[in-house]
Amino acid sequence: MKRTLGALSLLFILGVLLIVASPNYGLKFGLGGKDWQAHRYTDQYYIEHGVEEVGGTNIVTDIVFDYRGYDTIGEATVLFTAIAGAIALLRPWRRDENE
Amino acid sequence: MSEDMGLIVKTTARATIPLIGIFGAYIVSHGHLTPGGGFQGGATIAGAGVLFLIAFGLSEAKKRYDHHVYSALESLGGLVFLGIAMLGFSVAFFYNILWRNGIAFAGKPGTLLSAGYLPIMNLAVGLKVFAGLISAMMAVATYRRWKE
Amino acid sequence: MIPFQFITAFLLIFMGLYAFLYKRNLIKLILALNIIDAGIHLLLISFGYRLEDGTLPTAPIYTGYETLKGTPMVGPIPQALVLTSIVIGVCILALAMALTINAYRHYGSLDINKLRRLRG
Repeated sequence: MKRTLGALSLLFILGVLLIVASPNYGLKFGLGGKDWQAHRYTDQYYIEHGVEEVGGTNIVTDIVFDYRGYDTIGEATVLFTAIAGAIALLRPWRRDENE
Repeated sequence: MSEDMGLIVKTTARATIPLIGIFGAYIVSHGHLTPGGGFQGGATIAGAGVLFLIAFGLSEAKKRYDHHVYSALESLGGLVFLGIAMLGFSVAFFYNILWRNGIAFAGKPGTLLSAGYLPIMNLAVGLKVFAGLISAMMAVATYRRWKE
Repeated sequence: MIPFQFITAFLLIFMGLYAFLYKRNLIKLILALNIIDAGIHLLLISFGYRLEDGTLPTAPIYTGYETLKGTPMVGPIPQALVLTSIVIGVCILALAMALTINAYRHYGSLDINKLRRLRG
C-alpha cells in the first residue's frame, strides 16, 4: 500500500513537471529576441551596464557582490552557522569526558 | 594499521597539493575577470586539504591543524567582508565607492587592479569558505563524542 | 519537444525522490538530497539560457571587454543564485553528516526503521 502510494505520487510529480516544461503551454526554453527583452530585462540590464557600474568583467561576480550583496551576506551567515552547528554537534562534551 | 595510503599516493599528493593551491589562489585573485570567484577558489583550496587528509592520514593532518587558527581565519574573512561593505556607508550599504569615485583599484576594466572592492571581497570570501570547509572536514574526521 | 536539459534535470530529481521514498539508509538519504540539489541547480541554470537566431550565446564574462561588447549572453542572475545555493548545499551536507554520526553513535545502526525507538 505504501509503495503504491509512493509510486503514484512520483508519477503525479512527473506529470506536473512535464506540463511545466512543455514548450507549447509551459515554460519556454531559450528565449530570444523580443521575448528576451520582454521577460528578462533585468538580466539584459546587468549584461549591458554591469561593467560600467561595478567594474568587474565577470558579470556573475558583479551580481553576487554588488547588486545582490545582501544574498551573499545571508549566505556567509548560513555557512558560518552550519559549520558552527556541525562542530558543536560533533565535539566532545564535558559531561561525556567525565564518564 | 597504517593510516596513510602508501608511497605512490603520498608522492603524487606531494606533487599535486601545491599545484591545486596555486590554481585555487589564481581563481580567487582573478575572480572579477575570469570564471571563478571567492566561493569556487576557496572550495578548490579546501579540496587540496581533503587530498592531504586522505593521503597522509588523520594523525599527520591533526599535527598541522589548529582549531583556533582556522576559526580566527573564518572570522577574519567575515569581518573583512562586512567592513568593505561598510566602506561606502555615506551613500548606501554595499556601495562600490572605490570604483565609482576612483579611489583605489580603479584601473581599466579587464586589468587586475580594477573593479573597486570586488578583489578584496573575493579574497575575504575565499578565506572564509576555505577555513569553513577545512573546519567542517576536520570536525567530521576528528571529533567523536564517544571513546573509541 | 522538451529540451534535453530539462529532461536531465527531471531525471536527477526523480532519482533523488525515488531514493527518498524507497531507501532505508541514512547515508543514502543524504546522497539523495544532494542529487535532488544537483537537479534543481541544472533546472535553474537552464532557465537562463538564451537562443538568438543562429548564434550561440556566450557566458556572461567579458574576457577582452571591447571585442565581446554587444554579443548575446546567457542570463547571469540564475547563475549567481545557483552559486549561493551550492554553498548552502554544502552546509546542509556538513550538518546532516554530523547528525548522522551522532545517530549512529546513539542507535548503533543507520537503518531508519531502527531509529524509531527512543533509547538512553
